[in-house]
Amino acid sequence: MALLEVRHLKKTFGDRAVLDGISFDLEEGGIKAIMGPSGCGKSTLLRCINRLIEPTSGSILFRGQEVTGRDTDVRALRQMIGFVFQNYALYRHLCVLDNVTVGPRKLKRMSRREAEGKALHELQRLNVADLRHSFPSQLSGGQKQRVAIARALAMDPAVLFFDEPTSALDPVMAREVAAVINQLHSENVTVLCVTHDFELARSVADRIIFLRDGRIRAEDTADNLRNHYDDHEIRTFFGPGAAPV
Amino acid sequence: MMGDLAVLQDVLVYWPEIARGLASTLMLSVIITLTGLIAGIAVFYLTLSSSDVCRRAVQGYISIFIGTPLIVFLFLLYYGLPQWGIKLTPLTVAVLGFTLNVAAYNARYMTTAYNGLDPSEIEAAKAQGFTSRQIFHLMTLPQVLRLSIPALTNQAIQNLKDTSLVFLIQYAEFFAQMQEVALRTFRFFDVYLLTGLVYFILVSVLTNLARRAEMFADLPPASRHNR
Repeated sequence: MALLEVRHLKKTFGDRAVLDGISFDLEEGGIKAIMGPSGCGKSTLLRCINRLIEPTSGSILFRGQEVTGRDTDVRALRQMIGFVFQNYALYRHLCVLDNVTVGPRKLKRMSRREAEGKALHELQRLNVADLRHSFPSQLSGGQKQRVAIARALAMDPAVLFFDEPTSALDPVMAREVAAVINQLHSENVTVLCVTHDFELARSVADRIIFLRDGRIRAEDTADNLRNHYDDHEIRTFFGPGAAPV
Repeated sequence: MMGDLAVLQDVLVYWPEIARGLASTLMLSVIITLTGLIAGIAVFYLTLSSSDVCRRAVQGYISIFIGTPLIVFLFLLYYGLPQWGIKLTPLTVAVLGFTLNVAAYNARYMTTAYNGLDPSEIEAAKAQGFTSRQIFHLMTLPQVLRLSIPALTNQAIQNLKDTSLVFLIQYAEFFAQMQEVALRTFRFFDVYLLTGLVYFILVSVLTNLARRAEMFADLPPASRHNR
């Protein structure tokens, strides 16, 4: 059974349909990337799934349970989805350790000791445990991204959402983030990653969903999207020598 | 300058009253600073309400208190309410009037600080599953208070100085006692100069404490990675 089943999802802002009938599945332990030009609805899609934005219509099944209904426990749903933001969104007033422990302590009712043990485990997994007493303002972009991932993992989510995880990073740090996502993949963590970065998508994702104008135009492996589609839009976006988007 | 030290001798005769007045001033300053801070946090919380009616009502409250001289409100409470059979003590009027006034200013300072926060942190907290109330007390309030410290401590200093207004509603604070001493000794210039000096010393001490609080609350600067 798929961890996540999205069916005919629509989101409109006024007359404009930002998502127009999106359907896809995400298998447990799988990694899918969502790509497409700016404004195609990628980030809106992630936010609709965890209900930061309310979908207009359609259905989302999370482990077989419908989660778009009014009676859905939205906070419980969000706790099952680890969200890593483009600009990291670390809590500036908290040190690294507190950034990672605040969720488990306040949401999962862990004791401070238990939460710190869990946080240190995740920080070590991401090679940033030595920064635990630093504040976000003292970290580089790559370090912040790792801490943001550790914060998400400390909640033991069923799936990790990445929203443009490398767009604010230089190529070296972007490769580090790709390595981290691959490491998570090898540990059977389920990932849905919105990105503009084809190299990242190719190196981490089993399959890529290509979104344009709020619709899925293709879903396939990176190599197939690059080499085996005649569709003009897909060739322009993924084809050899395609301009960076 | 005081012409001679005789003024001190004349004034020191009244030191028990002066000391009581000084104690009243300090007590009132501490009370209104604390109640003004707590009420200000409550008002600020309401400015973030999802209810449009609530937000408008709170903005109306803030505008009224910032747009009206405090003395008018103190007089309304002290001299106006008895007309309706409600008689409050000078201390009650002082605490109530100042609290409502200071809360409006403090809420405005906190709103300004809030507007400088990174909205993505609030979104991240929502995405983690925190409730609105948890987001307020774990993420928003600590950052807003930290950013508002200069404005809030300046308000505390202003509170200390403004307490001299309450002598107009028969509250026997420091300025009222010094006024009494001036009337008894006829050394108006010397006594008011001394009064100003005492306020200046108190404000200097408070300013020093405020700057220390600012330094204590300061977050580490950005590292070279982020420059």
